[in-house]
Amino acid sequence: MKKLVTLCMMVALATITVKAAQAGDTLADVKKKGVLTVGCKDSLPPFGYIDEKSRQIVGYDIDFVNAIAKKLGVKVELKPVTSASRMPQLQEGHIDIIAATMTKNAERAKVIDFSHAYFLTGQKFITKKGSVNSLKDLEGKRIGTAKGSTSEKNVAAAIPSATILSFDDYPQAFLALMQGKVSAVTTDEAILAGILAKAPTKGQFEIPNIQISDEPYGLGMRKGDTNFVNFVNKTILEMEKSGEAKAIFEKWFGPTTQFHLERTFKISADK
Amino acid sequence: MEQLFNISVITDNFTYFMIGRFPHGPLGGVGLTLYLAVASCILSFIGGLILGLLSVSRFPAVRYPALAFINLVRGMPLLMVIFWMYFLLPALFGKIPENNTVILALSLFTSAYMSRIIVAGIDGIPKGQTEAATSTGLKSWQVMYYIILPQALRNMIPSFVNQFVSLIKDTSLAFIVGVSELTHVATQINNRTMAFPTEIFAFIAIIYFILCFAFTTLSRWLEQRLSWSKAI
Amino acid sequence: MLNYTFDWSIITSGQYFDWLLAGLITTLKLSAISIVLAFLLGLLIAVMRMAHSKPVRWFALAYLEFFRNTPLLVQIFFWYFGSYKILPVFINDWLNKTGFEFAAAAIALTIYTSAFIAEDIRSGVLSIPKEQMEAARSAGFSYLRSMQYIILPQAVRITIPPLVNQFLNLAKNSSLAMTIGVMEMTYQARQVESYSFKGFEAFTAATVVYLVLSIVITALVNLYNEKVLNVHKAA
Repeated sequence: MKKLVTLCMMVALATITVKAAQAGDTLADVKKKGVLTVGCKDSLPPFGYIDEKSRQIVGYDIDFVNAIAKKLGVKVELKPVTSASRMPQLQEGHIDIIAATMTKNAERAKVIDFSHAYFLTGQKFITKKGSVNSLKDLEGKRIGTAKGSTSEKNVAAAIPSATILSFDDYPQAFLALMQGKVSAVTTDEAILAGILAKAPTKGQFEIPNIQISDEPYGLGMRKGDTNFVNFVNKTILEMEKSGEAKAIFEKWFGPTTQFHLERTFKISADK
Repeated sequence: MEQLFNISVITDNFTYFMIGRFPHGPLGGVGLTLYLAVASCILSFIGGLILGLLSVSRFPAVRYPALAFINLVRGMPLLMVIFWMYFLLPALFGKIPENNTVILALSLFTSAYMSRIIVAGIDGIPKGQTEAATSTGLKSWQVMYYIILPQALRNMIPSFVNQFVSLIKDTSLAFIVGVSELTHVATQINNRTMAFPTEIFAFIAIIYFILCFAFTTLSRWLEQRLSWSKAI
Repeated sequence: MLNYTFDWSIITSGQYFDWLLAGLITTLKLSAISIVLAFLLGLLIAVMRMAHSKPVRWFALAYLEFFRNTPLLVQIFFWYFGSYKILPVFINDWLNKTGFEFAAAAIALTIYTSAFIAEDIRSGVLSIPKEQMEAARSAGFSYLRSMQYIILPQAVRITIPPLVNQFLNLAKNSSLAMTIGVMEMTYQARQVESYSFKGFEAFTAATVVYLVLSIVITALVNLYNEKVLNVHKAA
């Protein structure tokens, strides 16, 4: 009984002392300490992954934050995050900005602020070749995705009869697909393409043309951190104008890569 | 999958397994695993000593809260403790790097177990010694500090080494909050290469085994040595 | 500016409550299955550890040392992602269809815990006076039969409190199964957090459940110690 009482007291204590990290002026803070701390993916080519030779994190997301840091005149410190950990990390002040394939949506926008979209893709599936032609084929099947992602919520809504298995990150879900533990892996097409390109047995898999949602990616910042959000938005719009944004896209997804993706979007101010 | 085992994934990434992105980035891999384990071990020894002494205090107002806290922590899975620290620490103290969050979570968790070892060690010293020391006019804290603790701590050394082994194993949970210790590094490499999970996880299992077994053996050796010198 | 407002109603009713309840049931199911298997396996290893044949003894020792000195999390990953290379194809296929994540977690928990249980049982056996074994042998029982009828029943009775503690450890360790997608208590708490952004409420609920579980079980062990073991000691 005593233990329960103590527990209740601890919880009450937590209740009183809890205060979410305040959105100060990140822009000023970052300039002062000379480092921009970025939450990024570390095993999701080509957005953010460890380069085998240099042992450093590189990718599309990384190039964007590098450009922002360069404009600020500060260094970049990269912190690997997962889909589930990135928002708490930001709110608690462990990181200053999220550049981790994060979809902008209304639910998240209640808790954090987003930049304009810097990448656009849509949620699709990756499956064994020829096994899936329409959403119907996935009913009642086991589908893998990542914890805390929009993909998880979208697929649960799109195919209610499916069993959704959430892994820590997408490559693990794909590994489960390769081993036959799930029938499909679902997330944004660009991520799927990245995984497929790296897969050792890519010939056996395909991405059928079934899209269940649009996924615009935004850089995440603390709620109400207006100066910083404005600065980031201004920077990425300039990058679009100068052609730098397009160059980054071409570098990671263009014809010289394994992906051959068309750039179907331009970074523009949201309405 | 064509061949049975392919160890090139291990040899190609060996440096990464051992030290992560160091020296051009933060320390990772085995290096970080050991750093986390050693730092947590030192802190949890101090924490365990404090909690242990509080829990054998003569004053109920001190003893019961300490016992309640110890049991609270012992009743939780370590994973839960890590999640809690992850939430609570920043709310209470502001920004704290993940490495430290994990170290604090491991220390808090292990302190609760250490405190039990310390209490057992204190109980293991014959009551007669306390009585004899008290009758020479020493105060009760002096009896504890000069007479009981030095003997008790020496007898507890093997148990401490065992706790250290548990800590090495427990650091693998740091993976969950994205700290690049050995298990996290292994999942990174597994996620990138995708074809060699058997090799990668068997390899890190062996690394952990070598680390832990070395210390387990040390603990047994100490136990024998100590019991031998006690017999004399 | 962010202000955290507590909303306990989300975990006491509705969808999130259902998730947490489902999580609790999975945790209990996983722990119950694993502890039974771990006990049987641990018993076997303990007997092998005390066998006369050297290779058998060494095998048991190697098993104990290896699985006790490797993190459970790594073992879970190994069984889930790595075992397809060493398991026969038909077992793999069957497991994939029935849900490999639960099976992999159960296998890992069973093997990990069995190594600890084996040592508990062994110390229980060692606490039985040697003369009993000698008496049994001279009465014509074989080694295995003496173990079965004379030594183990007594040893197991002494071993029950440490065994229950192992069960508690196992229930707590089963939280690691969330890493491979087993929807147990901690997984669901995390899930509630990521859907509702109400981490405090979700984690408090999970913590209370784990605590109640340990308090109840610890109380039962204490009762057993007092009622059963002491009574016999006095007699």
